[in-house]
Amino acid sequence: MSRLLIIVALVLLVAPGSTGAADGDSPSYQRHVTALFGKLGCNGGTCHGAVKGQNGFRLSMFSADPAGDHERLTRESRTRRLSLIDPDVSLLLQKGTGKIPHGGGGRFSVGSVEYKILRAWIAAGAVADDIAPSRLKRLNVTPAEQVAQPGETYQVKVEAEFADGSVEDLTAYCVFESLDRAVATVDRAGVVTGVGVGDAGLMVRYRAQPAAARVLVPRPGTNTFPDVQPTNFVDAQVHAKLRRLNLSPAEACDDPTFLRRVHLDVVGELPTPEEVRTFLADSSSEKRAAKIEELVTRPGHADLWTLKFCDLLKGADFGVYADALSKEHDAPRMQAWIRARLAENTPYDVFVERILLATSREGRTMDEYVAEVNSLFEGYAPGRLDLELYARRKTLDLFWQRRGSDGVKGTMQVAHAFLGLRMECAQCHRHPHDNWQQEDLLDFANLFMRVRTVGFSDKNEKQFPDAAAHFKKLNEEAKQLEGDIKQRKEGEGKKLDDDGRKAKQEIDKLTTEIAKLEKAKGDESEIAKQRELLNAAKEVVAEAEKYRQETAALDKRAKLIAEVARRLMQAECRLLPNGENARVTSTLGSRESKTFRLLGESDPVTVSADRDPRELVMEWMRKPDNPYFARAIVNRVWAHYFGRGIIDPPDNLSAFNPATHPELLNALCDGFIENKYDLRWLHRTLLKSRTYQQSSTPAEGAAADRTHYAFFPLRRLPAEVLLDALNSATGTTENMDMKYHHWPETISTVQVPFLPQNKFVSFVLETYGRPQRNAAVQCDCERDGSGSIFHVLTLANHPRVWEKIKDPAGRASKILKTSGDTGSKIEELYLATVSRLPTEAERDACLKFIAGSESPENGFQNVLWSLINTREFLLQH
Amino acid sequence: MNRRDILRIGGLGLCGVGALDLIQAQAESSANNAKAKQMIVCWLGGGPPHTDMFDLKPDTSEDYRGIFNPIDTKVPGLQVGELLPEMAKRADKYTVIRSVTTMNKPGDHAQAPLYWLTGNPRLTTGSDEYPMYGSVVNKLRPGPADLPTFVVLDEIDVHTHNALSRNFLGSAHSPFVMQPLKDKDAITKMLTPQLELPAFARNTDLLKTLDTRLRRNDTQDEVIAGLDQYQQTAFNLLRSPKLRQALDISKESAESLERFTRNKPSKARYPIGDPLHFLLARRLIEAGVPIVHFNLGYWDWHGENFVAGKQQIPMFDACLAALLDDLDDRGLLDSTIVLALGEMGRKPKIDKPKETNAGRDHWDYAQFVIAAGGGFNRGCVVGATDKHGEQVTDKFYKIESFGRTLYHLLGIDADTLVHTPANRPVKLIVEDAPIIKEAIS
Repeated sequence: MSRLLIIVALVLLVAPGSTGAADGDSPSYQRHVTALFGKLGCNGGTCHGAVKGQNGFRLSMFSADPAGDHERLTRESRTRRLSLIDPDVSLLLQKGTGKIPHGGGGRFSVGSVEYKILRAWIAAGAVADDIAPSRLKRLNVTPAEQVAQPGETYQVKVEAEFADGSVEDLTAYCVFESLDRAVATVDRAGVVTGVGVGDAGLMVRYRAQPAAARVLVPRPGTNTFPDVQPTNFVDAQVHAKLRRLNLSPAEACDDPTFLRRVHLDVVGELPTPEEVRTFLADSSSEKRAAKIEELVTRPGHADLWTLKFCDLLKGADFGVYADALSKEHDAPRMQAWIRARLAENTPYDVFVERILLATSREGRTMDEYVAEVNSLFEGYAPGRLDLELYARRKTLDLFWQRRGSDGVKGTMQVAHAFLGLRMECAQCHRHPHDNWQQEDLLDFANLFMRVRTVGFSDKNEKQFPDAAAHFKKLNEEAKQLEGDIKQRKEGEGKKLDDDGRKAKQEIDKLTTEIAKLEKAKGDESEIAKQRELLNAAKEVVAEAEKYRQETAALDKRAKLIAEVARRLMQAECRLLPNGENARVTSTLGSRESKTFRLLGESDPVTVSADRDPRELVMEWMRKPDNPYFARAIVNRVWAHYFGRGIIDPPDNLSAFNPATHPELLNALCDGFIENKYDLRWLHRTLLKSRTYQQSSTPAEGAAADRTHYAFFPLRRLPAEVLLDALNSATGTTENMDMKYHHWPETISTVQVPFLPQNKFVSFVLETYGRPQRNAAVQCDCERDGSGSIFHVLTLANHPRVWEKIKDPAGRASKILKTSGDTGSKIEELYLATVSRLPTEAERDACLKFIAGSESPENGFQNVLWSLINTREFLLQH
Repeated sequence: MNRRDILRIGGLGLCGVGALDLIQAQAESSANNAKAKQMIVCWLGGGPPHTDMFDLKPDTSEDYRGIFNPIDTKVPGLQVGELLPEMAKRADKYTVIRSVTTMNKPGDHAQAPLYWLTGNPRLTTGSDEYPMYGSVVNKLRPGPADLPTFVVLDEIDVHTHNALSRNFLGSAHSPFVMQPLKDKDAITKMLTPQLELPAFARNTDLLKTLDTRLRRNDTQDEVIAGLDQYQQTAFNLLRSPKLRQALDISKESAESLERFTRNKPSKARYPIGDPLHFLLARRLIEAGVPIVHFNLGYWDWHGENFVAGKQQIPMFDACLAALLDDLDDRGLLDSTIVLALGEMGRKPKIDKPKETNAGRDHWDYAQFVIAAGGGFNRGCVVGATDKHGEQVTDKFYKIESFGRTLYHLLGIDADTLVHTPANRPVKLIVEDAPIIKEAIS
């Protein structure tokens, strides 16, 4: 605290009549007063920093507009906010201290450091000094990293270097926040207190500028680190950190746990009872590695990651108006394309390149493109041949044909999906916990503004004459066809139909006649003659039918051509020679930029008119020192297996959201790039680590850990995997009820491209937190992993779940019909649900339960009910 | 600092609600002395015609006033449309609000329902939607442990889907959406034990014996910590007869049923909803369910406004009157808010007034809200509109004020900060606005 007192002492040395310049002898508006508005919480988004301010007084959020704030302070409210004659009666001080009722309560007390500073500034004339010398050059937080015992305290010091070269201790003007208050807390003055084991990021903010530091709190007492062998560098790094924290890693998990875990995590399925038995019987010391190898090349692995990428890339958001795009057509196509790339293990950078640089034509002629679109529409039929066709495309133009994929909003999606950045705050104001400002977002967005906005517009025909020519031609063709169809229907068709109708009557008559003659054993030749007439009549009917079908086919063709035309005209993903300037309009005003600049770079780039600016983005992403590209995917894959990112949340890659294991993340990124962005290398590396293969039961004293992988974290199965596991455990399937859209009969929940008609499936998916896959939400957190009473009720009592349990062709019934004793049947149920053999006690409890049930069938069904309602079934462990 | 903050800041408890949350929320709820403990929302989706129902303009020309005459009510000076005789007799039980409107910012079917049902006009950026009042009550002030807190009867239609189903508080706070009047409704069945209670008890005993693994690090993770709590609550709900009995309308006398069904039209131009949802709502309130919402058919009468009016208004009149009577007789009206409203009014100037399919188009600048009970005044009119019923001329309030009034009566601070899954702090109702003091006592 002594440092603070010195500052106050300095502040109080202000000479009356001072100019209020940032000369160090009086509080400066720019350096001190605006900083206090942040520190005291005045200009936060839920207080006076709100769009319309609060109770008539508005400050810019995080002091984005200090001049405007000064204006409002000094001029509005009949200048009662500041009283230069009698500073103590200033509303700023009276409200701020709560002496006059204040919605925000008392923020500081009379006589406090803050009070004295604000008062001194008012007394000195409340002048707004020039911002130029007070622009921030550097913010330095010491100690950057500190080890503290629980209960131990230390002071964080913040020094700022300003544009005029002056350096000032501004600790008293900063906001401090601990990112993990279970590990350490920090008070208003910057005094840190160790709380519990772990390490926490400390966020420091001076005005709008954040800075970060870390504190590590080891477990007290002595601990003998067990003699564990790291499998690879992942373990070496994790163990090194655990040693520093004085925590032991858990034991390795047993084989059945490993098998269930990798199955659910790698292919999204439970192992079959047979797979469990085979794996347990295998005595090879390499069997885990072999299993990992097998699973990462299974189709289910591509399916599971297709699901993840479709979530991330919002793969079901299609169709606005008259653009011939739709969820039903296009979500399965986008899914098929992604799946094909993952199945062939396309290097991740190439995968992204083929998405990011996509165009519809891919350099082909318009005719070739028309042919492709035509085939896609024709393929939308049973068997969905269009899916394979679309999957063979080089680039994923559908990414740019989604709703909201253009402009600044689309840029935010790119930043989120491929760079792990959340930019939505920067649309309107400076990001409170990051460096991003509006111009960063806008300058970056300019690199995407040459991508044509997809969707119906009456200007399109004028703007794209090449497409318009085809559009016109196709529409004429469709019109021509419609004319032909009309003619067929009214002319020949009508005649044939009339003839057909008559012939049908004739057929009835002749049939009766022939039957009569045959019964009466009439004249053979007469019968033959009648038969001839009958056949002739049948031919007439068949001809009419054939003609009708031809007309129907033409009808379908005409409609299809019109759709093809619309898609070419309104939805082709192509580049414009010039984009509009990136622009945002929010409740805080409008802003636009003409500059092209990559995120985090200080210098703008120039883009010639003949170049796709997205190529620059791709080149930048591919640079080995790009701070986001490899990191974002490596960290997300890590989070998939370990329940949290090395940087967490995984889509918040920010210097102010520090990694728990920075060296590990770097090593993984380096390895990933060295291995040519091979996703399977990444999966294997993580899966083979001892850290992944350790037990979910913590070693003694390590239970408090949440962030350092001292044990395998429990997490709820994701919605789709859970439903597939339920189907597999009960030996049943779900018909998605999507025949109308030509979905195959057998499709797993993981493979579902959008919510199906099947009410039970859609209920489970919504209840268990499946993302919407639309552009409204940009956050990995959209996949809701939380628990709720709905989950318990679903598994315990949903009528469809009971049907599954009691299904005569289901698991319980089938097992019951097998030979073998009750004990071995119980084993089979255990293998099918929790993928392990029962303990003796469990077997006995089940035996007793079945013996006491009204029938063996009823007994088995209810044992199955119990097993699918255990934590072991619901959780990944 | 509390544990919730620790977890939230730590990044672990970003989603959902845990056991500790519930305990805290229950403590908070017992501490407050809110006027309204419960609420029923009867949603008249599409926008009912205010000038034919509760804001009549008899002095206007024929192409405005339509064919329905005004009738006097029990409250001097208040007239309602002639198709609302029962509500006229009970005008001393409720408040008519004529001066709250979206002003079309935003209006229409797509956005106005979210505005009305959450008190917030826009979607949050980059996150799921704002929570409906019922979801907030579920989070901050849940009801009895053996009952659902927020029930929606019948299906959620496309226009109220935004407001009612997903929201950023997480799926744990979504409503129970059920159709108890349909035999095959899965959600109703899910809430009723599929086994006889002794068999259910045998099963849960077995489950307890078998479910012994993975119980070592319960306290470290909010999701895991909540599992037992959720299971307990769910099983209590299944064991308890309360919900089952509430949903079983076979106990109602024919006479009682008839009060709700008597004006049910045999054929209708638009969907009419189910009159028995009023009865079910009352039974659920009696049982102790805090929030019940139901959509009553569709009121978007661009065509045949007056045909539809004759079909739907009398049913609405009988049902709402019977609901108010029942709640009042049981002493529940003073602690239960009853709302009847839609997302807008209908255009006072009639479209094709001379033709049989004369209709009223959208009108986002004036409408009515019926608000009774739970602290709303009895026999009261708030606000006024101009000569034609087109613009509010007195006591204009924004939807934020309406939402804040509801929270005020429910004893919840509308400035309570909740966090989106991306951890952005947001007030329940973002914008500050005065409560509608004229409507409450």
